[in-house]
Amino acid sequence: MGLAGDATDGEVVRSVLGGEVERYAVLVHRYRDRYARYAARMLGSLDAGEDAVQDALVRAFDRLADCREPEKFAGWLFLILRNRCYAERRRRQREGRPLDERDDGVAAADRPDGTFEQTEQMRALERSLVHLTPEQREVFVLKHVEGLAYEEIAGRTGATVASLKMRMHRAYDRLRDLMKEHL
Amino acid sequence: MSLGYHPLVKQLLDGELSLAELPPELRAEGAEALRLVGAVDRAPVVLSPALDDRVMAVVRRHAASRTRRAWHWLTSPRDVELRLRLRPAVWAGALAVAAGMALLLLARAPGTTLGPAPVARSGAHDSVFVRFVLYAPGARHVAVAGTFNQWDLNAAPLARAGTSGVWTTTLALPVGQHQYAFVVDGERWVADPAAPAIDDGFGRRNSMVAVTSRGAHTL
Repeated sequence: MGLAGDATDGEVVRSVLGGEVERYAVLVHRYRDRYARYAARMLGSLDAGEDAVQDALVRAFDRLADCREPEKFAGWLFLILRNRCYAERRRRQREGRPLDERDDGVAAADRPDGTFEQTEQMRALERSLVHLTPEQREVFVLKHVEGLAYEEIAGRTGATVASLKMRMHRAYDRLRDLMKEHL
Repeated sequence: MSLGYHPLVKQLLDGELSLAELPPELRAEGAEALRLVGAVDRAPVVLSPALDDRVMAVVRRHAASRTRRAWHWLTSPRDVELRLRLRPAVWAGALAVAAGMALLLLARAPGTTLGPAPVARSGAHDSVFVRFVLYAPGARHVAVAGTFNQWDLNAAPLARAGTSGVWTTTLALPVGQHQYAFVVDGERWVADPAAPAIDDGFGRRNSMVAVTSRGAHTL
């Protein structure tokens, strides 16, 4: 990776702001895949997730001077991506084409290590996630896909642990209802 | 009829209890719930290898445009604002005069807070002074960002008009259509309540103004 790969986020941000635009590629490379799974799950497809990540990285560059704590670039970028995902969902709602069950481009492909039944359950869960509210879907993805604790999710999203738990518990009930044929 | 999970089963899913800690009568429900979260696909998602190049291509374009903007700022003539320190009584009088002028402007252009002044530069670079006004009594800082300043949050701060909660600035805008929004305290984007707005495609509303050689008009 070399020196660029060893630099902290803060060092890279400061050098980009100082005029070394090409060093932004370090941050692009570092974070392009880290939040891809979140974006793809939130938007229901890999393509939409990729567009959101690309757009968030460009927006982050445009607003880099507003990143008050360069060492926390990752969390700041996540918020930009999160806003982008929510905006995309709202845009689709306005245009009358909300996420639907066909947008399951990230649903489990046929995995060589899974049984047919497991693969079907994965697909069913992906389809069911589409029917959660964006807030329920987000907390489910961050906790059960990304493996974050409630406290970490609260730190990223600004919500309280209590409200996150309430959203999650409603999501459990909704998913149980939606998945009853597959459990 | 939908049937939710028992609260203890939800604690199991949250990782706060183990299956063995559930009462025996809830273990079957607990096992079913674990199958549900067990169906989560945690496989990493890898984006197209071309994404880095696409992002950097846009970044380079935007950076070049900033450089052009900086050069333009250094080389183009601009208005200089003079700030006068006045006694409170004089200040109150000045505010009253300003309020009267604002009323006159509003009477000329009903339904808008933009007050165009008929000052134009010559040649192909015609521009018109446009006054931006926002009522934001709790704000600590207000700026206007738009297509005319490449959405730079720091390029056009508004000045507070005393303690009235009104913030204003006057900018020379080139002839053409512009989108803009106010930025309150450096982070909250606010559309101009007195101008029509359009969606920016990312969930925010941008206000619109058309500048002609005869003045500014909300669209």
